[in-house]
Amino acid sequence: MGQITILISTVALLTASAPAIVPPVWAALGQPAATVEHDRVMMKGQRQSRGGTGYSIDTITVAGMQIKEYASPDGLVFAVVWKGTGAPDLKLLLGEYFEEYREGVTAARRRTPRVREPFKMKSDRLVVERVGHSRSLWGRAYLPLHLPPGIRPEDIQ
Amino acid sequence: MKWSGMAVVVLCLLAGCNSSGDDTGSSSSAGTIPMSIGTSSVCVTINELCASVTICQPGTSNCQTVSDVLVDIGSTGLRVFGSRLSIPLTQTMDAQGRALGECTFFADGSTTWGSVQIADVVLGGAPPVRVPIQVITPTFGGQSVSSNPCNDTVDSDPDSASLNGILGIGIFREDCGPACEQESNNTLYFSCEAGSCAGAEVALSNQVQNPVWLLPTGNNGVVLMLPNVPVTGAPSVTGSLILGIDPAASNTPPPAVLRTDESGFVTTVYKGRTFSRSFIDSGSNALFFPDATLANCAMPLDPFYCPSNAVNLSATVFGVSGQTVVPFQVANTQNLATTGNAVFNNLAGDFSTFDWGLPFFLGRTVFVGIEGQDSSLGPGPFFAF
Repeated sequence: MGQITILISTVALLTASAPAIVPPVWAALGQPAATVEHDRVMMKGQRQSRGGTGYSIDTITVAGMQIKEYASPDGLVFAVVWKGTGAPDLKLLLGEYFEEYREGVTAARRRTPRVREPFKMKSDRLVVERVGHSRSLWGRAYLPLHLPPGIRPEDIQ
Repeated sequence: MKWSGMAVVVLCLLAGCNSSGDDTGSSSSAGTIPMSIGTSSVCVTINELCASVTICQPGTSNCQTVSDVLVDIGSTGLRVFGSRLSIPLTQTMDAQGRALGECTFFADGSTTWGSVQIADVVLGGAPPVRVPIQVITPTFGGQSVSSNPCNDTVDSDPDSASLNGILGIGIFREDCGPACEQESNNTLYFSCEAGSCAGAEVALSNQVQNPVWLLPTGNNGVVLMLPNVPVTGAPSVTGSLILGIDPAASNTPPPAVLRTDESGFVTTVYKGRTFSRSFIDSGSNALFFPDATLANCAMPLDPFYCPSNAVNLSATVFGVSGQTVVPFQVANTQNLATTGNAVFNNLAGDFSTFDWGLPFFLGRTVFVGIEGQDSSLGPGPFFAF
């Protein structure tokens, strides 16, 4: 079932690639690291960069929230992590992956009655998790196929 | 979703197929609220702990009891679906006279949107407390379920949310705190006017908040007492939510006191791995944690574990001070589903950190200390058990 979902969303993305209807893709996940600066401007935040072995982390701090964007040596943002009192604009952060995330949320809520559990969606190409409580919400999204060598999912915190 | 033959089993697991009640309940007394699992036609999810709350129009005796309100240690403040309210409350306004609304984000990825209103809230036999609550209304401020300032699809109605409201009585006083007092783009609070909503700074006293800390007495926290259940579960349980922390009165051995960090997290060490973002949450329906040696169930029970035989495990939970060992069991969820029961102490599933959900509370007395409030167990925020 997961693979069918992926196929559908891939088709949707291909369709959306027709030049006439495509807005510029600014969001960070799956995009060049250069788009991090756009996210900072859109969120009116402060930015700090840190290079590491095998990947770099940009941290945007804004209104009780901290957003980290992980970029691979070839400049692709392969993960975003957020924590704080509220929730970031995931449409902005997840970009072309946002619709796939939304489908995951819809599927989770289609369970009747609903299970109250930490949110998780996992496909071959996208993992999104959200968890926490009042005052302290945490979430992350990453692209399993684009993790640089040497970084494990548990390193994305 | 085609669940075919699984559907009945799943519905039994999630809803409980045996609706007979367990009448070994606690008597209601001043400062105590009865709570239960498996006895409601609204709170129908497995391990869903609910109670009733009385809400009054401020300054009047025009009151209404709202049943089927989730008892949630993981959130802060009272939230009730507007469609379940029959009495008028007082809308909170900003300095410019615009109506205040709020987005609330929960651990399960769900979101509620609605107005912030003042109510007199009556908990158990305690005196009424005047407090801002959230009235969940997807259309508030000219918004909708799919188009709203939360950038999310928000909860639409009590039936699909399987509750009439949420009583958030965790370790914090206000649901947002200083961040929402200082920044308008806090993503939680909004001022709404003429169908349009913009981010709003909100003073602490106007934020939705834990009614318990506003009580004249017993305002340092709550105690949750729930009986244990057999390894095959039970159709229902009833327990007590006690207002105010007084270990001597609850007749329990001295608990381990785990002070949380400022974000309300504890640290769990399990099989040599350390999970610093662990939390204790009566609103989560199961224990959730990562263990690659436990088999996940087949769809549609795939969030849960299905070891061939029940496994006895343990983890050590640390606060910034205090620690204790917590033994627990993980059963085969498929087998639990066939019992038709609604309450399980051994239901667990996979996640990347430790969520000590409802099974943790069964057979325990859990003290929840509110930030900045003192008690004989020390100052909050803490969990003690």
